[in-house]
Amino acid sequence: MFETGPFALFKWEKLFSDWRIFAEGFFTTISVSFLGLLLALVLGLIFGVLATSQFRSAKIINRIYVEFIQNTPLVIQVFFLYNGLPHLDIVLPVFAVGVIGVGVYHGAYIAEVIRAGIQAIHRGQLEAAYSQGFTFWQAMRYIILPQAKIIIFPPLTNQAVSLIKNTSVMAMVAGGDLMYHADSWSSNNLYYGPAYVVVGLLYLSLCLPLARFADYLERKAKMNP
Amino acid sequence: MKNLKLLFLGIVIFLGFVITGCSQQAQKPQESSAVPPDIKAIKDRGILNVGVKYDVPKFGYKDPKTGKVEGFEIDIAHEMAKKILGNPDKVNLIAVTPKTRGPLLDNGEVDMVIATFTITPEREKSFNFSIPYFTDGVALLVKKDSGIKSFTDLNGKTIGVAQSATTKGAIEAEAKAKGIKVNVLEFASYPEIKAALESGRVQAFSTDGAILYGYVDDSTTILPDRFAPQNYGIAMKKGNDGLLKLVNSTLEEMQKDGTLQKLKEKWGLK
Repeated sequence: MFETGPFALFKWEKLFSDWRIFAEGFFTTISVSFLGLLLALVLGLIFGVLATSQFRSAKIINRIYVEFIQNTPLVIQVFFLYNGLPHLDIVLPVFAVGVIGVGVYHGAYIAEVIRAGIQAIHRGQLEAAYSQGFTFWQAMRYIILPQAKIIIFPPLTNQAVSLIKNTSVMAMVAGGDLMYHADSWSSNNLYYGPAYVVVGLLYLSLCLPLARFADYLERKAKMNP
Repeated sequence: MKNLKLLFLGIVIFLGFVITGCSQQAQKPQESSAVPPDIKAIKDRGILNVGVKYDVPKFGYKDPKTGKVEGFEIDIAHEMAKKILGNPDKVNLIAVTPKTRGPLLDNGEVDMVIATFTITPEREKSFNFSIPYFTDGVALLVKKDSGIKSFTDLNGKTIGVAQSATTKGAIEAEAKAKGIKVNVLEFASYPEIKAALESGRVQAFSTDGAILYGYVDDSTTILPDRFAPQNYGIAMKKGNDGLLKLVNSTLEEMQKDGTLQKLKEKWGLK
């Protein structure tokens, strides 16, 4: 039954005895995801709000950032950060490459999500705020963003899920994340079967609760518009 | 809630497939004069599927100019087809990387893998390996301007190796023996290690000597150190014992009649 084949029992035993290797990778993946998400949120908020302002130059900068990042593969961006920048004498530690890579990449997507959310709010709201003496940033903070939040949240959590999954590109640049350790461990002894099943389940355990949370937020938003 | 139920159902079905998929017993070849089932399957198909490398000059390399795949291991694949099917041209070459070798054997897409595959006791638990047909040693490629002259100069430095290679263990053992400390980073393919060497992410690129020769250029050089002899074997799926016997006897014949030596000389391998 489990004597031979990619899922043979002795391969599972070896995997569980080497659990520390996977735990280390899992921890790295969680840390990179968390910091990357923070960076992506900050970038997304700044660029998303700027896109809806009247400052022309800000709009142009937003377009360049969003279009450039959204229309090039993340794999190339990370490869550039890892192997391109050192030629310009900028050597980032691989952990920073991971955080900046996924952070900047998903920041562009989150900027679009936030821009769409803000633009879904009637323009009259902003004009009303101006007439009450609010500045642009105050109006954003107290009037517009609280209303836009309901529209923004569901796609935002989707971005968070994507971000977690995308941290696996670090495997390509020896990033020490979960995927890297799975590749490394399973390629040395060729026990790839259990390795990828377990790693897949670990990613699922991170992403599924987040996705459920997104569903919950969506339902909540529908109930009290 | 309904979504959740569907999802669990999906996972259960998936796992069911996985479990039933791997519970199929490997067939035991009948110990009789009849053709073993693993060889019969190849004969019935009329073509031998062999996993080879496309990126290792002299062993298995697809020449970008001609589009032809050639090398020492490709010639061995033709010899195997000659033995099993009586026609050296009945070979279907399939490109493998260190990472895809195992899965392709397990799912039966290739009958055998002849792709600079080092024999190790751990790997022999998962696959049948033939007797060795080539022995190489681990070597190191460094930048000329780095001033690194020997393995001991790499103390405290970082070395890039390929995933699925035995290099990592060999380097760690050698470093211990020499009393130095090195970091090892793994990459999925040789070009990626080369890129990491050029950008200074790693100070040395290490893999089997014969493979490394394909990556030397004006700015890099191979250190004289060689360690950890690597025995290359032909890998087959566990349970295909009839095929293993045939492959081993073919290799033995090739050693006896000098074919193997001739092929090595043809490709300029020591």
